[in-house]
Amino acid sequence: MEQPAVLVVGGGISGIQASLDLASRGFKVYIVEKSPSIGGRMAQLDKTFPTMDCSMCILAPKMIDCSHHPNVQLLTYSEVKEVKGSAGNFKVKVLRKPRYVDETKCTGCGICADNCPSEIPNEFDEGLGMRKAIYMPFPQAVPRAMTIDKDNCIECGLCEKVCEAKAVNLGQEPEEVELKVGAIIVAVGFDLFDPSQISPFGYGRHKDVITSMELERLLCASGPTGGHLIRPSDGKIPKTIAFIQCVGSRDKRLGNAYCSSICCKYSVKDAVLIKEHVPDSRVCIFYIDLRAFGRGFQEFVNRAKTEYGIRFIRSSPGEITYDPVNKDLSLWYEDTVTKKIENLKFDLVVLCPALVPRKDAKDLAKILRVEVDQYGFFRSPGSISNPVDTTVSGIFACGYCLGPKTGDIPDSITQGSATASRAAEVVVGEV
Amino acid sequence: MKYGMFWGCLIPARELSYEVSVQKVMPAFGVELVKMEDTNCCAPFGIQSLDYTSWLALAARNLCIGEEMGLDIMTLCNDCYESLLMVNTILKAHPEIKKEVNEILAEVGKEYKGKVDVKTMIDVLYDDIGIKKVKDVIKKPLTGLKVATQPGCHLTKPKRIHFGVREFDALDELVKATGAETVSYERREMCCGGPLRGINDELARDVARIKLINMKNVGAQCIVTVCPFCFVEFDLGQLEIRRHFKEEYNLPVLHFAELLRVAMGMKLDDWEIKSHRTPLEPILKGRVKEG
Amino acid sequence: MSLDSNFMHEVANTPRGRGILACIQCGRCSGSCPVARLVADHNPRRLMEMIILGSRDEIIRSQLPWYCLSCFTCLDRCPQGGDVAEVMFAIRNLAVKEKNMPDGFAAQAKNLVETGRVVPSITSIVSKRVEVGLPKEHSTATKDVQKILKKTGLSKIIASKGMVKE
Repeated sequence: MEQPAVLVVGGGISGIQASLDLASRGFKVYIVEKSPSIGGRMAQLDKTFPTMDCSMCILAPKMIDCSHHPNVQLLTYSEVKEVKGSAGNFKVKVLRKPRYVDETKCTGCGICADNCPSEIPNEFDEGLGMRKAIYMPFPQAVPRAMTIDKDNCIECGLCEKVCEAKAVNLGQEPEEVELKVGAIIVAVGFDLFDPSQISPFGYGRHKDVITSMELERLLCASGPTGGHLIRPSDGKIPKTIAFIQCVGSRDKRLGNAYCSSICCKYSVKDAVLIKEHVPDSRVCIFYIDLRAFGRGFQEFVNRAKTEYGIRFIRSSPGEITYDPVNKDLSLWYEDTVTKKIENLKFDLVVLCPALVPRKDAKDLAKILRVEVDQYGFFRSPGSISNPVDTTVSGIFACGYCLGPKTGDIPDSITQGSATASRAAEVVVGEV
Repeated sequence: MKYGMFWGCLIPARELSYEVSVQKVMPAFGVELVKMEDTNCCAPFGIQSLDYTSWLALAARNLCIGEEMGLDIMTLCNDCYESLLMVNTILKAHPEIKKEVNEILAEVGKEYKGKVDVKTMIDVLYDDIGIKKVKDVIKKPLTGLKVATQPGCHLTKPKRIHFGVREFDALDELVKATGAETVSYERREMCCGGPLRGINDELARDVARIKLINMKNVGAQCIVTVCPFCFVEFDLGQLEIRRHFKEEYNLPVLHFAELLRVAMGMKLDDWEIKSHRTPLEPILKGRVKEG
Repeated sequence: MSLDSNFMHEVANTPRGRGILACIQCGRCSGSCPVARLVADHNPRRLMEMIILGSRDEIIRSQLPWYCLSCFTCLDRCPQGGDVAEVMFAIRNLAVKEKNMPDGFAAQAKNLVETGRVVPSITSIVSKRVEVGLPKEHSTATKDVQKILKKTGLSKIIASKGMVKE
């Protein structure tokens, strides 16, 4: 009998790692990814901390491996709809949404997008830039194929006309595929908490109050501004930038009482990146506690202070107000070290929001019949003894969908490998 | 619809135009405001500061009167609302505290049972009546009038303790229903400084000034309040600010009930217009004939 | 100045003071407080800090907790449920038990005990009420108020400040 395959739900870095580990050992792997390309959050980042490596440079080779590996089958733009069976013998129904483009023919040349008249805010750029209705989410997308977002397509047919590879297929239908797998790995990642729920910070009211992910896209060369840091309101280069930590994290009122575990680290990275982009800028990080644990992080913080002159202020600011007369943002806070109440003007304010489970994680949990914790993260039955198991035998989870005890990229990769090992046990059976 | 009407002590003692206006507008919605007999002081912020049990008992006595009438209580003043609502919430949630309070209330022949709710006029109009019915009674829409709303602290906070507290936007929606437009100014939810009146008048004035600056910055033409403290802070406050800071804001202040009254086509009497320290005429001109 | 290491728990055990145990001294309250920007002495975070450290005498005797507007901005924004505004009330209640209250508050209390009203009535306005067809006055239930305040012991404290006869 043929050895059962493994299903990996979620094509971010931890899902990719799990897949490659399994594939290289001879296991067949299906990666089901909701968006048109694998890559996940790491594809959105400019650099990783604390080594300041280019994120895509680390990610892209792994993505290519997934697309080329004979044991890996990518089902992108697809969703898991039903799961039956048990460990060793799951039957999974996957819905392949029509991208109206034949993946096997499309070369990713992009001429269709150049001609497409319908423009919408680009989700990959957190809404800061635009994309067309026919699009590739980012230049290094895998599979390298365009996708038509039917909701925003005006059905003019121009893309079909200009496509030299004849890859556009406007008549494509959704397809249901049934997979037989022995184990399932969930790696669906996280969403950002919506900071407009904390109204005093003015997110949504003031254009120059942005989230850290929006900042990443502004700093990234593949982003909406080609990597030039500008203020969304007027396109000017910001000279004074503030970071506010714990926006929604450690917040019992809003229900995210936990610490999101990576924000202190990435904000220091982003602050250093800003200083590299705009050397005469002044950057302040407003924090409650500075959680820079692990290898290299405290040293990185020290460098940020001494070499880059980044100012660390122990304070959770009260509010950000806008002066329409002087047209600037004013941040009110008490410096808890000097015990003085101050007001500083900033050109740009970056909020570090809590990292929360994806909106559809609950639905996926229902389909898999696994339990989630009070925050909606996938729950392991023993977080000390079986940290990557879920409450259903044969189903494992890795990466941030397990919650904030994981977080930075090496941890997600480690957990990906751990689930590969666990899944392999199930598939091979007990010895 | 009937409500027990809790006037509080400040409005009947200082803001008669408010009292008159409420009685003129509410009947148009089929609302009967039934007199609550023998009510006492709500135990506002100043009294709460002194003693916890005294606060609970004083406020609860009024709740008992509402219960005896079998009617929910409608308040106008934000201080009364905060006091009665919080006590109602605490006693409903904590039987042991309720028992202690009832032992005190027994001295005055009352017993709190937790059978009624406390609402402000804004709650009644927004939830029970509905914006549509408010729009239906508008005869002279206040088109073009730029209003800065002051919902006040206790209409909108503290959310953590009781979720019955109104979102800021309800008052704005009601003002828009009269045809006026609301301007968005910084720190709309900020306090007017009112609780410091009589304790530190200069500080109260300075707090109000911060708000007036923000309102003026966005082109507000008038201020609409619901709370008598906010009214005094902005109305009388502008005179004090003129004297001390030599600054003019020219922002007349109206209670929402007065604004609604004008929009419903009713006249404000001469004495009522004069009772507003910051002149009301500039915004009333052409909208309604002075009586 | 001696510190009372039990003060934090004393406050936590009052009905309105429970929030003190949650405070992480992040400063969001003081960054939000409208009074803190105008009066250097009034700083909600500082008050919480002093309670945690145990500066009982200093707080019970100071003006610091009496500038609070009870606007609840701090309470609404505190991420940990510190309920700062409630702790302010708890401190005031403790201060009053030891007969410390500023004159403005004492005057309000005096009005309440003597007339049943916090805001005194003005004769000219009472006449105006009658003139415009409003009832002369609304009830104050002064006797019941006095009975209640006698039972809770508050009228005794108010009287002992020398402002009102019991």
